[in-house]
Amino acid sequence: MSTLFLARAMQRRSFFRVAGATVAASTLVLAGCGDDPDPAPAPVDNGLALVGFDANRNPIDDGLLNYAYLLEQLEAAFYQKVVAAPPADLLPGELGYLTDLRDHELIHREYLKTILGSRAYDATLSTPLEFNFSTFTLTTRVGVWTAARQLEDIGVAAYNGAGKLLVQKYNLIALSKIASVEARHAALAHELLQSDSFASTVGADGLDDAKTPVEVLALLEPYLPIKVSAADLSTT
Amino acid sequence: MNLFNIISELEKVDPEIMDRLTHRRSALTALGDISKKMALAAAPIAIGSAFNKAVGQQTLGDANAVLNYALLLERLEYDFYVQALAAPTLAATLTGADRTAITVIRDHENAHRTLLAAALGANAAPAPSRFDFGNAFATYGSFLTFAQAFEDAGVRAYKGQATNIPRTLNPTVGGNVVNVLTVALQIHSVEARHAAHVRVMRRAPAAGSQTIFPWIINGDANGAPAPVYGAGNPVATFPAEGNLSQGGIMSLATGLGATYTAEDVSAAFDEGLDNTTVVGIAGPYVRA
Repeated sequence: MSTLFLARAMQRRSFFRVAGATVAASTLVLAGCGDDPDPAPAPVDNGLALVGFDANRNPIDDGLLNYAYLLEQLEAAFYQKVVAAPPADLLPGELGYLTDLRDHELIHREYLKTILGSRAYDATLSTPLEFNFSTFTLTTRVGVWTAARQLEDIGVAAYNGAGKLLVQKYNLIALSKIASVEARHAALAHELLQSDSFASTVGADGLDDAKTPVEVLALLEPYLPIKVSAADLSTT
Repeated sequence: MNLFNIISELEKVDPEIMDRLTHRRSALTALGDISKKMALAAAPIAIGSAFNKAVGQQTLGDANAVLNYALLLERLEYDFYVQALAAPTLAATLTGADRTAITVIRDHENAHRTLLAAALGANAAPAPSRFDFGNAFATYGSFLTFAQAFEDAGVRAYKGQATNIPRTLNPTVGGNVVNVLTVALQIHSVEARHAAHVRVMRRAPAAGSQTIFPWIINGDANGAPAPVYGAGNPVATFPAEGNLSQGGIMSLATGLGATYTAEDVSAAFDEGLDNTTVVGIAGPYVRA
């Protein structure tokens, strides 16, 4: 499939449409394999490349906005799954927190989707990406908050690292408004797991983590049904 | 704190200030009304707002000005926590995990001011002679209220300046090439972690405010000075924390294909604040 795929000469925009069709097909194949003990497919090369869609609007930040959109989709899907079937040992108030976190992430996701419109990477997919949370333990409060902590910390580091890559100032403003809310979420998840660990990602230099899109996507790989490449995004 | 001295100092700087504040009597009357509602120590904030209106806008013209502004805020925050940890009035209440947390936050602020001073080098502004927080440390509750105000204001201050830092500014600091915008964002998220934790401390039984969340809902100040959560100048660029409009979408509560509550929409986005408004909030605690 991959060879045939690469052999086709096509515009970037149509590349995404075909990539979308590939995702949809993989999902259908997966649906037929209900007994597979490991439903996560092996990452497929060229599954999805995060890059600006329209060469006529250069420089643009669409790739980075799609990257943020992917992060928010992942977080929203995680909290939706947790809130739909919360662990029995949650402490009083924790389901309320998780519900708030779900709603914040849903709003982030839908906001970015709306801003991107037809430029959203999944605008032409017949079904959206389905994320795989099987590496997490979602049946206990510790498992849930550990997963939340991990995803929120990744989000903070991702936004911190992406800021300087954004060309348009209004995009920097938009993403920084989300970034500090993710940091608030992260601090809470840390706090609920261990007292005074709210800033354990902060080094002796007083700085939080900042990660490049390539580093972040490597961390996200276990949760993504396809391989996503940031190789085409600017690095400076 | 001496209101008359402060106003007298303002008059030396700007002889026409009283005209712009209508007149002295009504200005002081207004301050009196406010201070009945606020903790006494919060009153300088009202003066800061008055000063702000009187002297108008200022803009931060270059990266050094932005960094010096950040340095002043970090020095203030650091000194605030140093004073809190030393305050006899808090010795019995700021204990255990809470004292540990404040120590962690103090150390971060110390690292921030050290880093910013190093980045500025010879361009670093001299430190103020001292910071005077009035009776912010009178009670555990008033201390936490101030801490929340400073941390939330700090988040807004960094966010408000992010676009004034050239994204390709990569100076060498301490032998390492650093990207100033990235560093500012890394500090920004640390301040947000601090703010969230202080809000959790306020929510705890010791402080007893169960309506406070780690995030800012509807721009509620929760007893902190209202300007920390209000609109900046210009309002279109720096809306109040209760803002529901983002990215040209009039209301995210109704404009996203599903209906969301104002509580969730406002909490899902933090807002930036302009430097003049922030200085209006923090300035009254700074002694030249």
